[in-house]
Amino acid sequence: MIINVDSPVLEIHDLTVSYDQSPVLWNVDLSLPAGKLIGILGPNGAGKSTLIKAVMGLIPITGGYVKLFDRELNEVRSRISYVPQRESVDWNFPASVLDVVMMGTYGKLGLFRRPGKKEKKIAMDCLEKVGMQAFVDRQISELSGGQQQRVFIARALAQEADLYLMDEPFAGVDMATETAIFQLLQEMTAAGKTVIVVHHDIHSAMNYFDWIIMLNLHLVASGPKAQVVTEELLRKTYGGKLNLLTKVTDIIRQKDFNPLKS
Amino acid sequence: MSDFVYFFTFQDSSIAFVVIGITLLGIGSAYVGTYSFLDKKALLGDAISHAVLPGICLGFMLAGEKNPIYIVTGAFLSGALATFLTSWLKSNTRLSDDAIIASILSIFFGFGVVLLTVIQKSGNPEMAGLNQFIFGNAIAILEEDLYIYGGLAILIIITLTAFRKEFSMLVFNADFGKSIGYPMGAIRLVFNVLMILAVVIGIQAIGVVLMAALLIAPGAAARFWTDKLGKLLLIAGAFSAVSGILGTYVSFVIPQMPTGPWVVVFLSLFAFASFLFAPKKGVLSRFIARRYYLKKTHQDHLLKLIYHGLESGKNSFPIEEIYESFPYRKRQTKHTIDELLKTDLLTLNQGLIDFTSKGKSEAKRIVRLHRLWELYLNEYMNIAPDHVHDSAEKLEHILTPELEALLENRLNYPKLDPHQEAIPRDNDEL
Amino acid sequence: MMLRKMSMTGDAISHAVLPGIVIGFFVSGSQRGLEVIIGAGILGILATLIIDWLKNKAKVQLDASIGITFTLLFAIGIILINMLAYKVDLDQECVLYGEIAYLPIDLWITDAGFSMGPRITYLAVLNLVLVSAFIFLLYKELNLTSFDENFGLVIGLPAGAINLALMSMVSYTTVSSFEAVGAILVVALLVVPPATAFLWTKKLTSLIKLTCALGIFIAITGYYMAYLVDSSIAGMMVAVGGIVFLGSAFVKSIKPNWIFGTSTSIKPLEN
Repeated sequence: MIINVDSPVLEIHDLTVSYDQSPVLWNVDLSLPAGKLIGILGPNGAGKSTLIKAVMGLIPITGGYVKLFDRELNEVRSRISYVPQRESVDWNFPASVLDVVMMGTYGKLGLFRRPGKKEKKIAMDCLEKVGMQAFVDRQISELSGGQQQRVFIARALAQEADLYLMDEPFAGVDMATETAIFQLLQEMTAAGKTVIVVHHDIHSAMNYFDWIIMLNLHLVASGPKAQVVTEELLRKTYGGKLNLLTKVTDIIRQKDFNPLKS
Repeated sequence: MSDFVYFFTFQDSSIAFVVIGITLLGIGSAYVGTYSFLDKKALLGDAISHAVLPGICLGFMLAGEKNPIYIVTGAFLSGALATFLTSWLKSNTRLSDDAIIASILSIFFGFGVVLLTVIQKSGNPEMAGLNQFIFGNAIAILEEDLYIYGGLAILIIITLTAFRKEFSMLVFNADFGKSIGYPMGAIRLVFNVLMILAVVIGIQAIGVVLMAALLIAPGAAARFWTDKLGKLLLIAGAFSAVSGILGTYVSFVIPQMPTGPWVVVFLSLFAFASFLFAPKKGVLSRFIARRYYLKKTHQDHLLKLIYHGLESGKNSFPIEEIYESFPYRKRQTKHTIDELLKTDLLTLNQGLIDFTSKGKSEAKRIVRLHRLWELYLNEYMNIAPDHVHDSAEKLEHILTPELEALLENRLNYPKLDPHQEAIPRDNDEL
Repeated sequence: MMLRKMSMTGDAISHAVLPGIVIGFFVSGSQRGLEVIIGAGILGILATLIIDWLKNKAKVQLDASIGITFTLLFAIGIILINMLAYKVDLDQECVLYGEIAYLPIDLWITDAGFSMGPRITYLAVLNLVLVSAFIFLLYKELNLTSFDENFGLVIGLPAGAINLALMSMVSYTTVSSFEAVGAILVVALLVVPPATAFLWTKKLTSLIKLTCALGIFIAITGYYMAYLVDSSIAGMMVAVGGIVFLGSAFVKSIKPNWIFGTSTSIKPLEN
């Protein structure tokens, strides 16, 4: 069950991605509509993070291509925002909450220029949207997990983008934060932004998202949640790895080079 | 030339002693260093090497001369203190590992240099020998020193060999060891002691600054030749010993050259040679493997080309047409055809290419694998028919007979692929 | 460098530039100037490239890549010093710990015959100006790529180029300080002040200010103590730095145990 749309905000064509010698995503084909809250689901190691990182150009692509707003990534970077997993960063870094959120404005600011009043205002507004305005000068090492997540989201908001890609923003976060973030995401999509979220829990996914993508090393399904969350598709996603695919991956990994790379 | 003979036939017993000393100390350092390397804490050895300097100087100052017992003890205490401070800082501050190691390394070294210059100013004639600790001078190893240093080296080698199981667990997965009841804390302590001792004796030959090379390079190089720990240690030891001997030889022939740098040069030669030329893991080997693979894929593609021709009704294949099918690659295509002729998969008769029965079977196999994989991608992974070709084109060369059987089974011995083309089997008639 | 967790890389680069310095000395004869800095810069970049090649293409562990690269380059440097001794006015000890005491005598005399003061002062000022300018211009970029390099890449910052530029700064600074404190003790001045400051504050601006203050303090105190004890000036500076560092570590962590009894030692937030 793969539903495609005309004039998609994100189009992925025959995408194959290898990570460290083994293929992680096989021939993914999908297109996503604008203005929706989209969840990416799948078991561990299914390639969810890999998909987002490949779209953002952080991991090299071994086949296929990605189009955002019908253009190449480099042409539209200022319209895309990325929220990485929380563990990808050392929270001991000497920075205040405001410092981190302001980083979201650096893309538009450009090299060498110093952030000024305008950037600070944007940052403060974003902090308010995530409910962290009281923590403006707090050191990030003193924040709880939920607060750290909100800061990351505020940074993403400060980018003032049209498309947001978030990697497990609800992981390890308290209930209040989760509800608050979800509400924020809904406001964003109501305002016309597209938000794509890697998520880990199928139950809450049903409540949160309009559109769901299911991955298991390949694309199992992509479409409005009612049509996609069926027992059969869930089984295909979570019901264990494809035996053959695993064996082929094993063979590829044993070689000293990646035969999938041209 | 005569130097060479003189050196290597050990006519001079002091040279023989030096060579024995270097060999033992090289092997000891390589062993300890390899474990440290596997523990991904290679640079800790660098820190400890620098950290023993103040201890050496203090030992010298207390003894008034280059007394090995004082020096070893001093170095040992100094190294132990550095190791202790490193772990203490790790558990009690927020500093990152690299900042801690770099700080301890340079601070202890700084103290050492202070003491060294104090000794220098005091005008003690023995002091000239101390310089050997900074840059290494294997030739200066005296016979008496050798008994102590050699003895320690043997102790290190024996301990590491006897307790291989324990030390492997330490570097591979210490928590597991702890959970099954091994005294990992004590084992770690013993390991640190051995490391400090290895450093103390190693710096005789190579000096404080370059000691890290003697610990890191042998293991890193040996790692490219084998995956088994026992062999790894042996190869590392060999690299280290040989480099040590060669470095000493250079010092012998050119007396004003310190030994240390030359040992490092030889170690690095071994290391880079390993990184480039080791079978399977070396850069060159991987390159060759890839080239060979590409050659084979070209052969497969050529066989497929002819088979597809047969499928669409052609029955003669002039060699020129085949060249044209692979534009700009005439030479490669020629090689490929030669290879296929040699392995009896094709025949060439008056400019026309044809299959042998073996060749036809092989071509069928490849086409079959291609189409089976396309079918698998299409049916099991919902991938559109026009997107399955690229993946199949790449994988048809590596799918094994076992996988082929699985595919056939899973897909239920299908007749057609997603493009409605027949899946060829050996009993078909075209 | 500390915030990027590259202290040991800094250590490696300060060793690796030695061949560049020696060749620079050799090429320029007795006039020590631009050639040395260029030589060191090239070696610094070369070292970074070799480490990258080893790690990414040859697939060697990072710590081993660093260790092998810097020891090889430093060894080559020492060998060159020995081989070129007839023309190069360096000796091994000087390489290690420099000799500031002689530098006041090494004056910069203009063509007109005026003495402009010690040459090293001008080199040091130039170094300070360039490094400050670098950090000032790329302040937010350095910050961002040190905190979250992936995010930097995503918003289009040239993270790789920034990194290389930073390594070049390290090479350049190593060379400038080389004559004063020697190759190895440069590391101490690179690494210890920031590590010490990090024990006292978590705010970036305070961190930088405190690091500078500590650097100045260590330099001045070290100099005078070396004079008192008649030892290597550079070594003494490092020793002073060490005492300040270890003292800070001790003070900043033992106190809670005394005061709060059963409170555990400071650990970074587990999240």
